[in-house]
Amino acid sequence: MKINFKLNGQKYSLDVEPYEILLEMLRDRVGVKSPKCGCNRGDCGTCTVLLNGKTVRSCLVLAIEIDGAEITTLEGLMADGKLTPLQESFLAHNSFQCGFCASGMLLSTTELLEENPAPSKEEIKETLSGNLCRCTGYTPIIEAISDQAERRNKIWVS
Amino acid sequence: MGKLKYVGQSSPRIDGKVKITGAAQFIDDIDFGPNLLYAEIIESPYPHALIKKIDISKAEKVPGVVKVVTGKDFPYRFGLYMHDRHIFAQDRVRFVGEQVAAVIARDIRTAKKAAQLIKVIYEPLESVLTTEDALAQNPTLIHPDLADYNHVPWFFPKGGTNIAHWRKVRKGDMEKGFAQADLVLEDDYTVPRYAHCAIETHGAIGHYDYSGRLTVYTASQSPFTQRHLFAQALAPLGLTHKDIRVLSPFVGGGFGGKAGVSMEILAAALATAVRGNPVKILWSRSQEFYNTYQRQGLSAKIKLGAKHDGTITALEQILHWDAGAYVEYGANVVNAAGLSATGPYRIPNVTIDSVCVYTNLPPGGPYRGFGYSEFLFGLESHINEVSKRLGIDPVMFRRLNAIREGDSLAYGAEMNPNGMIEAIDKVAREIEWGKKTKSDNPKKAIGKGIALFWKAPAMPPNASSTAFLKFNEDGSLNLMVSAMEIGQGFLTVMAQIAAEILTVPPEKIRVELPDTDRNPYEWQTVASHITWGCGTAVERAAVDAREQIFDVVERGLCKDRASLYLEDECIKSKTDSTFSLPLKDIVIGGIMQPDGTFRGGPIVGRGMFMPEFASASSDPETSQGGHPNVHYTVGAAGIILEIDKETGKMHIPKVTLAVDLGKAINPDLVKGQVAGGLLQGIATVLYEDMRFNKDGKILNANFTDYKIPTAMDIPDEVVPILVEVPQPDGPFGARGMGEHTMIPAAPIIANAVEDALGIRIKSMPITAEKIALALREYKKRKEK
Amino acid sequence: MPIVHDFEYFKPAKITEALRLLSKHKGAAVFAGGTDIINEIKEGIAMPDFLIDIKGLSSLNKIQFKDGKLSIGALVTFSEILKSSVIKKRLPVFAEVARTVGSVGIRNRATMVGNICSAVPCMDSGPLLSAFDAMIIVQSLKSKRRIPIFDWFRGPRKTALKKGELVTGIEITIPKKKNAGCYAKLGRYTGEDLAQASVLVLALADHTYRVAFGSVGPVPIRARQIEELLGEEEITDILIAHAQALIPGIVTPITDIRASKEYRLQMCQVMFERALRTAVSRLAGVGPEYGINVTEQIGGVAV
Repeated sequence: MKINFKLNGQKYSLDVEPYEILLEMLRDRVGVKSPKCGCNRGDCGTCTVLLNGKTVRSCLVLAIEIDGAEITTLEGLMADGKLTPLQESFLAHNSFQCGFCASGMLLSTTELLEENPAPSKEEIKETLSGNLCRCTGYTPIIEAISDQAERRNKIWVS
Repeated sequence: MGKLKYVGQSSPRIDGKVKITGAAQFIDDIDFGPNLLYAEIIESPYPHALIKKIDISKAEKVPGVVKVVTGKDFPYRFGLYMHDRHIFAQDRVRFVGEQVAAVIARDIRTAKKAAQLIKVIYEPLESVLTTEDALAQNPTLIHPDLADYNHVPWFFPKGGTNIAHWRKVRKGDMEKGFAQADLVLEDDYTVPRYAHCAIETHGAIGHYDYSGRLTVYTASQSPFTQRHLFAQALAPLGLTHKDIRVLSPFVGGGFGGKAGVSMEILAAALATAVRGNPVKILWSRSQEFYNTYQRQGLSAKIKLGAKHDGTITALEQILHWDAGAYVEYGANVVNAAGLSATGPYRIPNVTIDSVCVYTNLPPGGPYRGFGYSEFLFGLESHINEVSKRLGIDPVMFRRLNAIREGDSLAYGAEMNPNGMIEAIDKVAREIEWGKKTKSDNPKKAIGKGIALFWKAPAMPPNASSTAFLKFNEDGSLNLMVSAMEIGQGFLTVMAQIAAEILTVPPEKIRVELPDTDRNPYEWQTVASHITWGCGTAVERAAVDAREQIFDVVERGLCKDRASLYLEDECIKSKTDSTFSLPLKDIVIGGIMQPDGTFRGGPIVGRGMFMPEFASASSDPETSQGGHPNVHYTVGAAGIILEIDKETGKMHIPKVTLAVDLGKAINPDLVKGQVAGGLLQGIATVLYEDMRFNKDGKILNANFTDYKIPTAMDIPDEVVPILVEVPQPDGPFGARGMGEHTMIPAAPIIANAVEDALGIRIKSMPITAEKIALALREYKKRKEK
Repeated sequence: MPIVHDFEYFKPAKITEALRLLSKHKGAAVFAGGTDIINEIKEGIAMPDFLIDIKGLSSLNKIQFKDGKLSIGALVTFSEILKSSVIKKRLPVFAEVARTVGSVGIRNRATMVGNICSAVPCMDSGPLLSAFDAMIIVQSLKSKRRIPIFDWFRGPRKTALKKGELVTGIEITIPKKKNAGCYAKLGRYTGEDLAQASVLVLALADHTYRVAFGSVGPVPIRARQIEELLGEEEITDILIAHAQALIPGIVTPITDIRASKEYRLQMCQVMFERALRTAVSRLAGVGPEYGINVTEQIGGVAV
């Protein structure tokens, strides 16, 4: 079946079979590699993408379902090729070790900050609780988000 | 050594940007073009069985299937320390999930569909699922040919039994030691199996081209070791080291699980069956659980004697390791733990029996901590119990018996310089040891726990690291090493070391990922030895490059070599303050002479490190005589633990870990190791364990049932404490600390639970459920 | 890892079209969020020949309060329940339950209707809907029926849904009396985890109570004996102890990979007390606020 969708701002038209999974379609057919497969059953969050602005596990979505939808991956956050302030904050905090979970963490956080520009540490933790990381103990990730949120709010207030 | 500019700085990771932009390539991210094939593995459903017949005829006929292979196609043994494995099972399977055959097809769906059509007829054998059964009288033998296996000289397998290796350590006089003791306490402690749970699963792509070249891409901590093992195993096909190239892209978490060779050998072997086509194998999450390495289970029997004054007089540790079906790597965990099972204590009389036992469970192997987490759980719990019974404060007791520089180790060698006492004191202060904290909430109990740790890199005595360093025209550098970036930050640390010597900032240094063709040799990225071993090689490569530069300046400008030094990317002179020559002006093009000729040429530094003092040769009955461990990194950890007495749920207001790492090359990355390693360690205590049914099948091979902590399950506060007593042979005095951050987690929690509730839990994990049920029993007993 | 199983996909735009497809294709499965079924197809647990995506049925995506009833359409996700201002105001315990389901990326897709159609014993919606005497609205080409929640669950992964039927929504009669609830969920982890056991208590202004347990039996359990015992009595320590003593006769936990039956039973008693006290305290307007997990808060919440 032919589907049309927008990926990171660009229009795509693709023939897909019902059994194709969104994650596989993005990685193997479109060549967008930032969403990763960690568990293939929705437990780890490393395949997270934004589907019409909301995070979903792309390993649990059929490619055929996204006809008419808009998908954003990590690549799409850097629309002008520059790092986002959130990425800068992650960089400054040495937030990642192996980096495999990075894309999912960044997208989950992006959704959170859209809805809640001033999240508490508890809210940050709750948001990230579906994105598993085995390396960092989460601390530097939480701190990077918390810092970025604070900075952003200062700018808004001033 | 003057003031350091780059070493000791928390500089940002040099691989930070590539990771936060999603640009970092992991194994599954590499494209191989339209002729890429996919392999699906057929696995044993039995823990122990004979393979009677494999019918592949139906699978072969499926359109899109290129090849079906079985054990018959690859009758080759392999293994890191002992050749006890085959690429595919031959006549016998020894664990549920063992690879029996493979289907190679043009797409993964076809491979999977065809795999379902392969019929294997098994004759089930009696299986051995516990160390008790394996060590019983006349047990079922898992490896009847054990006596014939090749192995390293420091292993002692017992043919005709299920004992793959028995490390014996004997020191002093046990009878005398226990006779001198005023208290002798014996107890048993058990530790289950654990999974590494890197978020990236294993994957490998093999490509055997028509020229006879075998290229293998692997998600690996050990590219050179893999090349060596592939060459050994595939030698009958005419392949040599020169013909094999292993490349490893970024690795999505290792923790020991991607060390050595596990599934990667399948890609290497299968590639030879479909010449001309790359063939890919990617482990699913469940395969990741049952067919890579697992952390081995342990039953420990500890007997410890001490005097009223707190002096430990004797220790006996009998460690039975459930090592699984193949121990080619795991037996060295048993070996390493056996050598060091005294823990960081000076004990005059020691008996250690560390026994590697075959079982029909998945193969055990390396896991961050390499056996130390396992024996420390029992030992450090036991130390608390002994001190409590003697009426001595457990911190005082540990301080009194802690090993010091120059002390004789259980196997005779001398203890290296270390800051153990400083670590103990700082941890005790951090958790306000001695100050009882009581909760306002009657349903809560608060306890504190402390434990010491030590760990040496477990490596063959000739394990080596090398480095090449080449300058570019702009004075930037490419540093070629073959250690692996598994997240620990080694790329950054190597860049900092080279930066310090060459005065080139780390951001101008690219550290390349391993490629066995292009980069020089590295044994493996394991054992927390990279900062020390590979770091020394990099230091030497940088010094080599610097000396070449001075050489060129001496020859090209007639400068007194002894006066030259580097500063801010320039060559300067102590005797001529006006002299300043930017590196970039000469490192490629050399120095022009008045006659228009040049002196010098591209600068390429070379560095190598092998610990030439190490030796694994010792008396098999006592372990006396060798120098099997290069040095120990030591430290202490402490915790404040809150327990809900009704639900058993535990909450960690504070955990601290002091580690003597000699020198923190990058303190921020060190702190990252502490936060991450502690949580991984805490998870093995509070939540995780591998479960098997009575048929040896794993029950929780997914992240729903074998769940790892989430961001909501972390301690409130993690306090890393860095102690820096330099390691004489380490780069800038550094020694490793990556594994050490998780190994004390179990005993600190066990000790804190005991402190809070008066209940000693002697089996891991210490879950909320275990506590709640133990408390109920405790109450019932009290009421009676 | 791809899906190996072959199936056809339909996305009807109208309910009648969906019902026609359902009646025509016996091997059809319906999905909305897909968080359960896509996984099941991948793992070979479910092998439908036809997959009917109902996300095109826009009339089913509403949360409505009307005539004293709350209705939740089949497309309403847990995220929408969690964020709904009207739910937060009138039935905040629904949000409290929704918040414990999976994590954000799951809640953005998973629906409450899907949750009760999957009907796994550890589902979070079970005790909630049992306590509220929910009706499940089911439609087929021929008829429309309303199935009381107690008839709905027939066992683990088994419901009263017949071939050709589609669940269009859930309906709850809002208690006329002022009320407050509390959902206590026991997981191994504080973060995303499945329930080892769960309890929902609803306290009403006439001093009556509703109590339901989840994950401690093949289907959600409404604890009528406890409700009768508590009815119109003042909540005292002794009364709670009496109620707790009834629990072993009400729940039927099993030992599995996530917990033992002993622990589950013991925790039902602990969580019942905490949920009851919290619900009573919320009814009295003294908090604690919704969203706090009284199982996780060490020592429970002071009430």
